Amino acid sequence: MGVDPAIKAEIEEFLLHEAELLDERRFEEWIELFAEDARYEAPMRVTKARDAGPDIVEESKIFSDNRETLYIRVQRLGTEFAWAEDPPSRTRHFVTNIRVQPGDKENEYRVRCNLLVYRNRGDTPDYDLLSADRQDIVRRVDGGWKIAYRRIVLDQSTVGSHNLSIFL
Amino acid sequence: MQVLKGRRQPSPEVRSMLEAMVDMVPQGRVPARIFNDPEVFELEQERIFGRCWVFLAHESEIPSPGDYVLRYIANNSIIVVRDEEGKVRAHLNMCRHRGNQVCKAEMGNASHFRCSYHGWTYKNTGELIGVPYWNEVYHRRLDKAEWALVPVRVETYNGLIFGNLDPDAPSLEEYLGGFQWYLDFYLKPGPNGTEVYGTPDKWVADTDWKICAENFAGDGYHTPVAHAFGFELGYFPSSARTHFEGVAVHIPGKGHAIGLGRTPGMPPFFGFPPEVVEAMQQTLTPEQVQVFSQVRTAVCTVFPNLSILLQPFSRIPGQPGVRFVTMRLWHPIGPGRIQMWSWCIVPKDAPQWYKDESYLAYTLAFGAAGMFEQDDFENWTNLTRQVKSTLARDLVFPYEMGMDLEPDPTFPGPGVAVPPYVHETNFRNMWSTWAKYMLRD
Repeated sequence: MGVDPAIKAEIEEFLLHEAELLDERRFEEWIELFAEDARYEAPMRVTKARDAGPDIVEESKIFSDNRETLYIRVQRLGTEFAWAEDPPSRTRHFVTNIRVQPGDKENEYRVRCNLLVYRNRGDTPDYDLLSADRQDIVRRVDGGWKIAYRRIVLDQSTVGSHNLSIFL
Repeated sequence: MQVLKGRRQPSPEVRSMLEAMVDMVPQGRVPARIFNDPEVFELEQERIFGRCWVFLAHESEIPSPGDYVLRYIANNSIIVVRDEEGKVRAHLNMCRHRGNQVCKAEMGNASHFRCSYHGWTYKNTGELIGVPYWNEVYHRRLDKAEWALVPVRVETYNGLIFGNLDPDAPSLEEYLGGFQWYLDFYLKPGPNGTEVYGTPDKWVADTDWKICAENFAGDGYHTPVAHAFGFELGYFPSSARTHFEGVAVHIPGKGHAIGLGRTPGMPPFFGFPPEVVEAMQQTLTPEQVQVFSQVRTAVCTVFPNLSILLQPFSRIPGQPGVRFVTMRLWHPIGPGRIQMWSWCIVPKDAPQWYKDESYLAYTLAFGAAGMFEQDDFENWTNLTRQVKSTLARDLVFPYEMGMDLEPDPTFPGPGVAVPPYVHETNFRNMWSTWAKYMLRD
């Protein structure tokens, strides 16, 4: 069953809006895009032989947040003492290859995209590039959209950043 | 067979710096230069990481015969494997024929390792058992017994597997030198000890391993500032003032050190589930129970670069919370650059809900995205960048905090126990020990 192109366009616009909020560091608005029961997870990857099964370790998470702890992360960034983001990182979230499928519930859709995040800090031109397979469940709520679930699968088994004080 | 010889000699400049440290460090001064210098890094590869017991893996990472993980000692890739008899072994991950990597996965299960270049095949014991065309090209003359994978010494303590490249190094027991008494708090929460939760976080950072190792050797001083957000959001049960209560302990001449922070009025073993509290009464001695039941934060470094933190933590500030334990290896991969391995370890006998909650607490606070870890790495990467400058390299840092403090003669544990929790006695011992290793030919 295909998804109505109008719905797909709405969801795409929603994800691009979300990326803009992150890059403009409007985290208090960003967190409002998450449903009350939302989960935000990034499982770890390991390097395994080709025949040794998936390289994703489901029980191990770089992020394993619910809406409440995700909001604590946002609150932290709002204090004067979030040194990791002061001065702030310059980020650019590139959201591409968006595919929308029907979800398990009538008002939900499974959305998969390729995510590329550029991050630069301070006065050096050095930057981090984080590439990921991002899998969301988005939910129609009161005529708008909410993220009910987000899973970020980074394309690295050793993360190439000194920290992940940004959102993906 | 000697695996590694300390062949590199320091330049006159670095030698005189190291010689000066012998007197300077006990008097409270440490050269800034040691925290980011190419020559110091190269010398450490042989004189520190070529001689010390370096952490490799937790036994629970390789529970079954054939299970292996890839780890490092200095720049040597090491296969840590449980053989078919259940014995833990370590081998250099290098085919003896031309040096190709024989194992390319960082974890897995294998009875054999086969080189993808010419096909030499080794049992997981390291024994060379397969050489293609042995009759035709070697005319059966190549002695396979001579070309096993290079073995690395391994010894374990309560689930922790350490390796040593120096065949003449003392035993792990002698090397730890009484620090086992403190490690037991992390490693003996029940008759079956601990296990890792999942696989470790791994990331890289432009920081020197030594500043991280020092921080975990009991730098309670940084907490109220570097992690001030934690006080702001209500994460810490102690105020910044009572935060300094407790004791710092070091093993003289060994470099190992622990900070034991206490919060007045904290219930004994606060944050542990009743099952674990009960089990600890069996596994720990009465003296250990007396000391550890009062401890809020236990943060230590096993010289040179393994650190462990045990901390009560509630994901939601103000709620009861749990204890989590993170164990981390600050592995140097270049001057001023490390690769991190960060594990969460849990009591094996604890209920599953507690293990899960403990892991969630760990992952919110530590690991690459951990809220506390983030700020540490911001500070450590910035200071590492600063200390390599031409002006900084000639400076010293003050390490005089607590120079006049006296040890507590009634403290029941080994080593030198100096109250309170926050001072630099542990660090002076650590950098004196480091200088001693670095000066040894």
